[in-house]
Amino acid sequence: MKKTEPISRKGGFGISLMPYSAWSLLFVIVPLIFVAYYAFTDDNFRFTTENITRFFTATSAVEGDNGTVSEVKTYVVIFMRSLKLAAISTVICLVMGYPLAYIMSRAKPRAQKMLVTLIMIPMWMNFLIRTYAWMTILQDTGIFNSILSCVGLGPARIIGTETAVVIGMVYDYFPYMVLPIYSIMTKMDVKLFEAARDLGCNSFGVLKRVIFPLSLPGVLSGINMVLIPSVSTFYISQKLGNGKFFLIGDAIEGQYIANNLHFAAAIAFILMVILLVFMGLIKYFAAKFVYGGE
Amino acid sequence: MGVSDTKLSSKIYTALVFAFLFAPIVILLVFSFNESKSLSVFSGFSLKWYKELFNDRITLEALKNSIVLAISATAISTVMGTAAAIGINRLRNKWHKAAMNTVTNIPMVNPDIITGISMMLVFVFVGRLFGAATSLNFGTLLIAHVTFCTPYVILQVLPKLRQMDSALIEAAQDLGCTATRAFFKVTLPTILPGVITGAIMAFTLSLDDFVISYFTSGPDMQTLPIHIYSMTKKTVTPKMYALATIIFFVTLALLVLNNLTDSDDDNNIRKNGKNVNKTSSLKSRQLKKRVFALFVVVVILVSMCLTCTIGEKELVLNVYNWGEYISDGSEDTYDTIKEFEIWYEKTYGKKVRVNYTTFSSNEDMYSKISSGAVSYDVIIPSDYMIARMANEGMLLPLNYDNIPNYQYIDEDFKHLYYDPQGQYTVPYAYGVIGIIYNANVVDPADAKDWDLMWNEKYANNILQFNNSRDAYGVAMYKLGLDVNSTDKATWDEAHQELLIQRPLVKSYVMDEIYNMMESGEAAIGAYYAGDYFTMVDAQAEDVDLQFYYPERTNYYVDAMCIPSCCENKELAEIFINFMLSEDAAVANAEYTYYASPNRIVYENETYIENMGEEVMDILYRHSGNFAENYEKNAYRSLSPEMLDYINSKWETLKIN
Repeated sequence: MKKTEPISRKGGFGISLMPYSAWSLLFVIVPLIFVAYYAFTDDNFRFTTENITRFFTATSAVEGDNGTVSEVKTYVVIFMRSLKLAAISTVICLVMGYPLAYIMSRAKPRAQKMLVTLIMIPMWMNFLIRTYAWMTILQDTGIFNSILSCVGLGPARIIGTETAVVIGMVYDYFPYMVLPIYSIMTKMDVKLFEAARDLGCNSFGVLKRVIFPLSLPGVLSGINMVLIPSVSTFYISQKLGNGKFFLIGDAIEGQYIANNLHFAAAIAFILMVILLVFMGLIKYFAAKFVYGGE
Repeated sequence: MGVSDTKLSSKIYTALVFAFLFAPIVILLVFSFNESKSLSVFSGFSLKWYKELFNDRITLEALKNSIVLAISATAISTVMGTAAAIGINRLRNKWHKAAMNTVTNIPMVNPDIITGISMMLVFVFVGRLFGAATSLNFGTLLIAHVTFCTPYVILQVLPKLRQMDSALIEAAQDLGCTATRAFFKVTLPTILPGVITGAIMAFTLSLDDFVISYFTSGPDMQTLPIHIYSMTKKTVTPKMYALATIIFFVTLALLVLNNLTDSDDDNNIRKNGKNVNKTSSLKSRQLKKRVFALFVVVVILVSMCLTCTIGEKELVLNVYNWGEYISDGSEDTYDTIKEFEIWYEKTYGKKVRVNYTTFSSNEDMYSKISSGAVSYDVIIPSDYMIARMANEGMLLPLNYDNIPNYQYIDEDFKHLYYDPQGQYTVPYAYGVIGIIYNANVVDPADAKDWDLMWNEKYANNILQFNNSRDAYGVAMYKLGLDVNSTDKATWDEAHQELLIQRPLVKSYVMDEIYNMMESGEAAIGAYYAGDYFTMVDAQAEDVDLQFYYPERTNYYVDAMCIPSCCENKELAEIFINFMLSEDAAVANAEYTYYASPNRIVYENETYIENMGEEVMDILYRHSGNFAENYEKNAYRSLSPEMLDYINSKWETLKIN
C-alpha cells in the first residue's frame, strides 16, 4: 500500500470536513437566508421593509402607575424586557455557577463525575414538566409559601412576577453555565495557582489574575448558552409569569400562530442581528478587560 | 480561613445548589403518586398513574419517538461532528477556520425559535417544489435535530484534538499505519472522552428539545415534548409526572453505572495527561472494543426502530385533534384509536395505522396546515376555524353515504352557520362557556353574570383566558357587544374593559386554570362547562367549586372535517363514522366531559347514569334551543386584517 503524506501537512479542506460543510450550508446558512427573505417580503413575496419598520414603530398606549397614559413602542418594550430578564438570569447563573464549577473541578475525579451527572440529570426530565413543577412550588398556595408560613413569615407573591420568570430561566439554563466553565477549569494547572501565591498573590489575587482570565472562554460560552435561550423563551413566561409577561419569544410564537409568517420572520431576523452584535461586543470587551493593553 | 472551613463551606454551597436543582424533581416524584388528578393538592398515595401510563398508547408512542429520534440524531451528529472536528483541526487557512467556526457557532448563538422557524420555511419551500403533500416528517425532524446537536459534539471534540500531539499520528503512519488505522489506533482513543461527552450532550439536547421540534415535526411523528405542550387546553396529568419519575430513575441508574465502570480508565487518562498515549496501546484496544460495541448497539436500535415504523406497507390515517380530546384507554377506558384499528382490520381485512397527533389551539392547527407543511386526513377544529377553512377552500366535501351514523346527529346541530349546506362537517362535541367560582371565597350573592370577573372585591383571585379571542369575547359578552364585529371601535371598547380588569387578574390561563382553581390559588375563572367537573373531582378540601352560565356567553361546536390535503378520503370517512358509533362516541363523551350532539350518546342510559343528574343538567341545559342561541352567540371567522388588529391589541394588553 502506498504510504500517504499525513493530511495535516496539506492544509485546505479535508474529506472529513465535507459532510459537515455541506450540511451546514444546506441547513444552517440557507435557512438563515430564508428568514431574511421572509422578513423583507410581504404575503405575495414582493420586497418590502414594512415588517422591519413595524417592529420599530408599532406603538401602544400604556397606563403608568399614576394613571397617566403614555405611548410606547410595543416591540421595543417587549424586546427590552426580554433582554433585561435574560441578562439578570445570566448574571445569577454566572454568580451561582462559577463557584460550583470551581468546587467541582477541584473535587476528586470520582466525585467530579458524580457531580457532572447530577447536574445533567434534571435536563433529562422534560423541560415543560420541570417548569410545571415550579408552578406547584411557587404559587401563592404552593409549597414555598407553605414553608414560609410554617416559619411564621407572611406569604410572598412570587408567581406572576418577574422574579418567577427569572427563577424559571435560571433553573432551566443553569447547567449550560456550569458545564462549560467546569470543563475549562479541569484543564487548569494547579501549579499555576501555587506559582501565583509564591509570587505574592492572595486568594483574591489568584482568582482575579489567574483563575478568572484562564476560565474566560468557558465563562463566555456559558453566558452565550444561557443568555440566548432565555431571551427567546416563550414557555417559561407563559407558565411562571401567569401569562402577564409577554416576551419576544411569545411575540414570535404569537405571530406564527396568527399566521403572520413574514412578520414573525422579521422579528426573528432583528432578534438574530441584535444578538450577534451583542455577543460580539461581549467577546470583544471581555478580551480587552482581561488582556488589558496587550 | 482554614482548609477544613473552606471545604465545609464549599460542601454546604454545593448542597444548596443541588437542593435548588432537585426541588422540582422532588415535586414530580411526590405528585406522581397522587391519588387525584391534581398537580398541586396531594390527596393520598396511589400507584394508579403508573398503571395509566403503561396503558396510554399515545404517550408511550411519543416517548418511543423521542428516544428513536434522540438516538438517531446522536449517532449521526457524533460521527459527523467528530469528523468535522478533525477536519477543522487540520485547517491551516485562517479564513477557512474562521468560516467554519462561525458556521458552528450559528446554531448555538441563534435562538431555538429562529432555528425552528427558519428550518420550517426551508422544508416547506422544498416540499412545495417537489409537490409533496406533506413537507414535514421524521426526516425533517431528524435533520433539524442533527443540525443543532452537531456543534456541541464539535465543541467537545476540538479541544481534545488540540491537546493531542499531532506528531503521534505521523509517527504511527511512519510505522506503517494507514490513515484510517492511525485514526482508530491513535486519534480516536485520545479524543474518546470528548466524543462521548459530545454524544451525551447531543442526546440530552435532542431529548429535551421542544421549540425546534414544534416547528419542524410532521403528522407521522409526535415527540414527547410536543405531546405535553398540546395538553395545554385540557391539563397535564400526573401521568406525565410518573413518566418523568421513571425517566429520572432510569437515567440515574444508567449514569451511576457508567460512572462506576468508567472511572478507572478516566482517572488514568486524567493523571497521565499527555503521556496517555504511552500506555494507550493496551487501553486503545479495550476502548475500541467498547466504542465498537456502543456503535453496534446504536445501529441495531436505530434500524430496529426504523423498520418497525417504515417497514410495513399499510394504510395510514393521520388524525389531528385537540390534546386530551379522545378516550385514550387511560383509567380502564375505551382506547378509541386501538379499537378502530382492530375493528377496521376485522371488517375490511386490511391493516390500518392511525397517526394520532394533537394541537393546542385552532390557530396552531391552522398555521401548520395552511403553510402546506403537513397533511392530515381528519381534523377536529372549532366552528369559526371551520368557517375560515371552508371559505379558503381548505376542506373537502364529505360523502355522507360513507357516514351512515350521521343520522344520529341531532338536527339542531346540522346546517349551522359554519357549514350551512351541511357538506363539510360532522359535529363531535359542543359546549357553552360558564363561570366557575370557589364558594368558600366568593359570596354567592356576587356570583352574577360576567360582573363577577370584574368585581374588585376579588382582586388577584380572578383568572382570564390567555388567548385573545376568548378574552375579548368575555369582555364583549359583558358589554353586550357583537363578538364578531368588523368595527375596530368595538374591539377598542372591549380592550378598554380588559384594561380595567387587568389589575384584578391573577393570571391569564389556559390549562393552568385546573390547578389554580383546584388548589384554591384563584377563586374565579371562566372555562368550558364540562371542564368544571374535572376540577370538582380534584378540588382541595377547603375548596368548594360552583358553576353558572352568564346570560350571554359563547356557544361552540367542534366538528370533524377532512382537509383538502387528505390522501385517503374514504378511509377518513370510515373513521369519522366509527367515531359516531355507540361505543366510541359514548366513551369519548365520558372522557372529555363535553356535551355530545349524538343521540346515541345523550339517550344512552349507562351514559346518563355514569354522568349523574348534575352533570347532565349543566351539560345539556341548552339542548332544547341550541341552534337559536348558537346563531346569536357563536364566534365567526374574522378577516385576516381584523385578526391582525386584535392580535396587536392583545400584545398591547400584555405589555401594560
